Amino acid sequence: MITSIAHATIYVLNQDEALDFYKNKLGFEVGDDMKVEGGFRWLTVYPKSNSQLQLVLAEPKEGPMFNKEAAEKIRSLITEGAFGAGVFETENCQQTYEELVAKGVEFIQPPTEQLYGVEAMGLDNSGNWFSLVQR
Amino acid sequence: MATNYKFKKVKAGRDHIADNFHNALSLSDMAKHAHISPYHFLRVFRDTYGETPNEFLIRLRVTHAKKLLITENHSVSEICEHVGYSSLGSFSSLFLKQTGMAPTLYRRKLWALSAEPFCFPSQAIPACYAYHFLGK
Repeated sequence: MITSIAHATIYVLNQDEALDFYKNKLGFEVGDDMKVEGGFRWLTVYPKSNSQLQLVLAEPKEGPMFNKEAAEKIRSLITEGAFGAGVFETENCQQTYEELVAKGVEFIQPPTEQLYGVEAMGLDNSGNWFSLVQR
Repeated sequence: MATNYKFKKVKAGRDHIADNFHNALSLSDMAKHAHISPYHFLRVFRDTYGETPNEFLIRLRVTHAKKLLITENHSVSEICEHVGYSSLGSFSSLFLKQTGMAPTLYRRKLWALSAEPFCFPSQAIPACYAYHFLGK
């Protein structure tokens, strides 16, 4: 039986810039930030006080999994907003939305009533969308 | 609503542990931040998160110690202090119990696997990521 999800990946254009965004704008904590042999940087972040599921911030790079062309294709898809970073929960969507807007986070949908709660939709600094949900 | 209220209190206690794991923390400290009696806090915490507050605290400390052992050149006793233990003996035996290795051996083993010191070997990250990004 699988009990929980530990890591999920989000592709970003630049790990330094993504780290700055997730840490200083969204207020996430850094889980791991380590250099792994082979030049890979293992970088994870999680919302403060809940480290159960960590987001892996990874750069699509030419390597064993992607050739140059595929890596470039993924980078351009990120910019176009083809990928989502997931759904982030908040206790107060309106308040969090206002805090994030004040920090310069871009939103494509303000807090809106949905069947499952109040939801806003924002973009990270790579162009990945994320939902901000209050249930 | 009542359940949600109780959950918020336990979560406040858990947040306190997560923010202060590197300091000495007693069960009554944790419970105080949750505004629940220590025994009740212990029980509700375990029911909510599937581990006791102390298990959660140990998990945070050991995880942090592992990271420091590999990325920093501090002595084991410095690391022990850094993650909130005052006794090197109890830290070492706890670490041994959790990881199956003494802290120094853990450090030596992982440094040996890595091409350069302070750089994690691929075994330190989930294998699917190592395979995906490093091809091994």
